[in-house]
Amino acid sequence: MSEKGFAYHQLSRGLRDPLSLAWIVLLALSLTSALFTGLGSASDLLTKVTGLMVLGLALLKARVILARYLGLAAAPGWLNGGISVLVLWALIVAGLYLI
Amino acid sequence: MYPLPYPEPALLQARDGTMSSAHSEQPRTGLETLPGDLIMWVLIVSELLVFGAGLLAFMAMRLTDPVGFAEAQDQLFRTGAALNTLVLLTSGYLAAKALHWRRAGIGLRPQLALIAAALLGVLFLWIKGVEYAHKAAQGITFETHPFFMFYYGLTGFHAAHVVVGVVLLLLVAWRDDPDNIEAAAAFWHMVDLVWVLLFPIVYLLG
Repeated sequence: MSEKGFAYHQLSRGLRDPLSLAWIVLLALSLTSALFTGLGSASDLLTKVTGLMVLGLALLKARVILARYLGLAAAPGWLNGGISVLVLWALIVAGLYLI
Repeated sequence: MYPLPYPEPALLQARDGTMSSAHSEQPRTGLETLPGDLIMWVLIVSELLVFGAGLLAFMAMRLTDPVGFAEAQDQLFRTGAALNTLVLLTSGYLAAKALHWRRAGIGLRPQLALIAAALLGVLFLWIKGVEYAHKAAQGITFETHPFFMFYYGLTGFHAAHVVVGVVLLLLVAWRDDPDNIEAAAAFWHMVDLVWVLLFPIVYLLG
């Protein structure tokens, strides 16, 4: 197998593995969060909007960690319950941020 | 004889001759569906509640001096903290893979993954140490501003959990029973989860 073919094989294998896919998604969400942070200093409104987006991305990361790293994907009731509490908490944080 | 309030369980005979109830064949429900030990989940939820309350207190205190909090936040080492996010996420991935590989019975890979996860934890602490040393050199302490009281309190408490997590990961790399690895990895993922929520609030929400 050529070097390029081997790399493709490894990548496609990684994408089929839920844990590896979760790790890739988490890194992508973190980089997106860093990009948003870089955008948000031009005006107060933009700062607030990007702040909320960064908070939303943190919630998405929390969901991936709960579902894949902590294995709650196998217990959807507990996963949904945990996410609901986190969303409620994030809404309070967002409210305090916007005041 | 009074009828039973529930159907009498059928007894099944296993190959070794022991009898077991048909109830053991029923799907798991409620708390039984949680992966790993219940006590570890109690610990995870307790820790999340403590950090959650601390972060809400931080946001509430911010209302008393939003400009001062934003100026103080600008003095933080954001690049280092962002790098630490990637370090912890990767470390958590290795801990999760270690459990997966241990259950699959794949040679030395679980131990190596756990040691690598622990080393990434040490890297996290080193970057955090550089950040604290930089603040100390600037003369920034707990008393400089209420922001820094929360900053040192929350990130320091989290760093203490990282130290405990690193020790646990190394212990289970040595005593690599799958249940041990599952418990240590769950603790490590909790540390990961807390950082993912703490980082944007303390470092980014200006």
